[in-house]
This record gives sequence, C-alpha cells and structure tokens, in this order.
Amino acid sequence: MEIEIQLLHEPVAEKMSPPPIGGHGAWLEFRGVVRGEENAQSISALEYEAYPEMAAREIRRLLEEISSRHPCLAARVVHRIGIIPVGETAIYVGIAASHRGEAIALLAEFMDRLKQDVPIWKRQALSSVAANVNLRISGSHQSADSHRRLQSVRSLDDALAEIHTHCQPLPAVRTPLEACFGRVLRETICASEDFPDGDRSTRDGYAILPNDESEIFRVVDTLHAADWKPRELKIGETVRVATGATLPCEHLRVLMQENVERTGDRIRILRRESASNVRRRGEELRTGEAVLQPGVKLGAGTLALLATVGGTQPLVSPRLRVCHFTTGDEIILPEQTPKPGQIRDSNSILIRNLLQKYPCHLEQAHWPEKFELAKSKISHRQSTVGDADVLLVSGGASVGEKDFTRPLLESLGFEIIFSQVNVRPGRPLIFGQKGGRIAFGLPGNPLSHFVCFHLFVAAALAKLTGGAPPEFRRGTLAAKLEDGPNPRETLWPARRDAAGLHPLAWVSSGDVTCLTETNALIRVPANRGSIESGAIVDFLPTTTE
Amino acid sequence: MRVLFFAQLKDATGCDSIELAPPSSLNSEQFWAELLKQFPALAAHRAQVRLSRNWEYAASDTLFSNDDEVALIPPVSGG
Repeated sequence: MEIEIQLLHEPVAEKMSPPPIGGHGAWLEFRGVVRGEENAQSISALEYEAYPEMAAREIRRLLEEISSRHPCLAARVVHRIGIIPVGETAIYVGIAASHRGEAIALLAEFMDRLKQDVPIWKRQALSSVAANVNLRISGSHQSADSHRRLQSVRSLDDALAEIHTHCQPLPAVRTPLEACFGRVLRETICASEDFPDGDRSTRDGYAILPNDESEIFRVVDTLHAADWKPRELKIGETVRVATGATLPCEHLRVLMQENVERTGDRIRILRRESASNVRRRGEELRTGEAVLQPGVKLGAGTLALLATVGGTQPLVSPRLRVCHFTTGDEIILPEQTPKPGQIRDSNSILIRNLLQKYPCHLEQAHWPEKFELAKSKISHRQSTVGDADVLLVSGGASVGEKDFTRPLLESLGFEIIFSQVNVRPGRPLIFGQKGGRIAFGLPGNPLSHFVCFHLFVAAALAKLTGGAPPEFRRGTLAAKLEDGPNPRETLWPARRDAAGLHPLAWVSSGDVTCLTETNALIRVPANRGSIESGAIVDFLPTTTE
Repeated sequence: MRVLFFAQLKDATGCDSIELAPPSSLNSEQFWAELLKQFPALAAHRAQVRLSRNWEYAASDTLFSNDDEVALIPPVSGG
C-alpha cells in the first residue's frame, strides 16, 4: 500500500486528489474538524501537540498492520498541529481501495487506533479571547510552546553550539587511497617501519668510516639507490654510493664526489667537509610513531604520506549525501531571460561549488513554492531525500506568507532546532535535525547563502565528517569599516591580502557583486558601528576559488 | 540519553527535554527511578505513561542506553 503522511502547521488543503495510482474503485475521504464545544464549554480553537517523528512512524505502522487485514491501495493521512480554529480540519484521511468495503473498514479501525496509539495531544481548548491572542502571536502556525522556541532568536555563538550538539560524526569507512582526497581521516596512522629504513646517502659520493683520516681510499663496491648490500668497512676503504642509496652499514659518512679525485679504484680527498651527507635510519619516523592524527583532512601531501607508510585503506569519513533544493516561484534558470519580478538562480551553482571541498553525492532540484506540489515532488524522490545526510533548502526561509521551508521540513520529520540567528546577512536561517540527518533552510539571496554556508553549514559538515570546525582568526583592518550601529552581529564581506582586511561595499544582503572579491568575513559585534583602519578584528577565511 | 516530555508532562517537569547520562543501560524500572529523583511530580502520572525508545513504544523488557531518545508518552488524544 502506498502511504503518505504529513504533520502540518498550517491549514489542511480544502481539496485533495487521490494519489496517482490506478485500479481503485473507491476513494474514501474523512475529515475530523474542531467542534465548537469541548467538555461542555464553548471554545473557538484547540491546540494540538505532536511528537512528530514517532507520530509519523506510528501512523505508518498502524496503516500497514490494518491493511494486512483490509487490503487497500493507498492511504494519505494529514494531521494538523498547533492552534486549529473551530470548523477547521484537524485530521484528514484519504483511502484508495479496489472496493469500498475495505476502505471503510480500514478507515474505521485506523481512527480508533490513532486515538489510542499515535503520540498527538489536544493540549488546551481556547476560549474566544485566548484564541485570538494566541492566533495573533503565532500566525496560526505553531502551538504557543513551539512558537516560543522557534521564534527565539539565537546568537551566532548559540547557533554554532547547537549545530555542534545536534550533528554527530557519520560512521567512518575504509576507503582506497585514490578515493580519499578531501575526506577526513578517522584513525591514527602509525609508521609501519623506520623512515628511512637504513642510513641513506644524500649525495653522489663515497662512503667512509666516520673517523677515517686517510688521504687515499680503495673503492671496494658501488651502490645504486635500490641496492641493499650490507658490509663492514675498514680504514682506507670506501664504497661508491648514489644519492638515496642505503649505506652498507650504520654510522658512515659520505664524501661528495666533487671533493675527491678518482683514479681507477682509488680516490684521493681534495677537500674535507664537516657534513656527514647522510639521512640516518628513523630520522624522519620511527616504527610505531604516529604520523597522522584523526581529524586531518586528506590532501595531496597527506595522501602521499599514507602511501609511504602503506596505509592504503585508511578509515575515513564517508562521502556525504547532500540534497539541495531551490524554492521560489520567481526563480528561473540562469539561461532564461527574466521577466519583471523574476531572478535567475545563482544559488544552485554557488552551493555546488562551495561543496567542492567536501566529497559528496549532490542532488539538486527546484521545488515549486506550493506545499502540496513540493510534497508530491518529494514523494517521487523519497529515496534521495530520505537518504540524504544533509538537506539544504534555498529560499522560503523568511516570515512571508508563501514561505514553507519550515513546515515542509517538519512534515519530513525534522525537528526544528532554531529558525532565526541574530546575524546579518542571513538572519532567517533554519536548522533542523532528524536522527543523524540535518537540514538547513538558507535565506534566499546569494550573499546570505555565502555567509550561512561558511558560518553554519561548514561547521555542520565538519562535525559530520569528524574534521576541524571553521575558526575565526584575528586580523588587522587595512581600511576603515564604515557602518552604523546595528543590533545584529554582522559578517562583513572583505578581501584579505598581505596588507590586511579590506572591507567591501555591500548594499544589502542581495548584493552578489562583492562575492567576486570576498575571501574573508569580518565579525562585527552588535551595535559596534564603524571600525577604524588598523583595528584588530575577528574574521573567518572563506573561499572564492 | 535524551528524554522528552509531552503535553501535561511538560507542565509537571517544567521543560520539554532533559539529558541523562546513566553509566550503563537501564531497564524501565531503573529509568523511572532515575527520572523520579529529578522530577518527583512525575510519580502521579506514571501509571498512565508509556515509554518510547527511538520513536517506538518500549516493551516491558526494553533497555534504555545512552544513545537512545526516550520519550514519556501520556495518554494520547489526536484526531
């Protein structure tokens, strides 16, 4: 049976069509509406609360169990949460079946069981006065309780702390070296043997005993880089060695070939040197010595080191599965010509490229800005969206009527941890969690995207992969930062070079031109106003390439 | 271990969740003992409350460990 479940913080749609399945002879719909009376008192609204993740699971479990006795083709269950005015739908159930008998039986039993087992509660009945007040405060979206929680604006530090708390490192995987670039090492790598594994010559020359004061030496052997011919040397004896060759025994020194004269199998010293010209055994690494610690992001150099010590299947962070969706009916493809009111989508390519640093499977798509349409798109992509470690939604995060990112994430089972951060640009940032998965609702414009990605998404990706989180550094302003005092902390785009940090002009959070130069974000404390050139400030390095 | 409270249990505890860090797994008896130490007011609700572990109702022999999300589910009233 096809099952679709939604827990909504907004009114249930007036009309719903049957799910797109064939072969049904019955389409049964039921709506439970809020009565104007509760416990013999006249009321104007009811407030519902849910344990969303568990409620969705229980609904599914019940439907599956009951349909084994009353086989049906599809079921859609929508339960509204929060404050629901009298006369409006609290629960909607639609059942498609081959024949009406099964649908009716399933519906009846399901509603009985829902009222016993599904963790949803009527919290309080609201009299007309109370309801009006509550509705005004919450915009009829959430319960007073979740409302307080959602609306409370987080400081930047609090938001980062909560991201840190709610993201957990994904299970590590053993991965061949060729696929490790950009992954985070999740184990300690130790040297498997001494490096070098014997004394090695750093010059083309002649190896002799360290205390041999002879003028003339007899050449008793020749060693190339790959040779391994151990032998003891005597006073007056020397071995011809190539750069990198392993010396025939320990504690020798090497005379550079430029400093000797060779005749047949004899050499004569022209100049004595103090350098030994030898890399000693274990000089770089001793057997068992830790060469790489967990948390290191693997790049060309570290991977070469892994190859050197034979760590060919290191334990590393998995390839992330990321879904990125743009929303907004005004958004068109970059190759299209905008009509009045339309804008080209720059966020898809921005996010794609910001994610280049993180090995991931990225899926991108556009969601229509209508809840039902978006929901049906998601259900077609259930496997992708459901499996994603990270869900990024662009746009739809401000408090406008059409905004739907938050309810959409909630209907997907995400718990919203916060929905606003007191920073500019990028204040209406949504962060949600569902088990080990996380979701961000990013405010729609590119500069906010850029800031939120480097501040928050990067912090989450670091925690998920087990890597080091992005950290603010200290730097010097190379020019005055001109700003009026602002009640929000500001992340000010800047260009960083040898002279210091140059604040860039940005008109509003929609400004995209300054992104071409930005490679740092200056952290301006709330209410600080202008900062003089030469002042020490905190900044976050960012990437432009 | 994250412990969630819903509906009237939020009123009884004054919060919607707490963190517990038991040194080892708890059976439901031990879990309740731990919880009642912090929230004696929950005792009055105990007979009607079901426990869930990781979004499924717990059985009588379910053990609750540190990585679990445990919820106290008072009688439900959805629909």
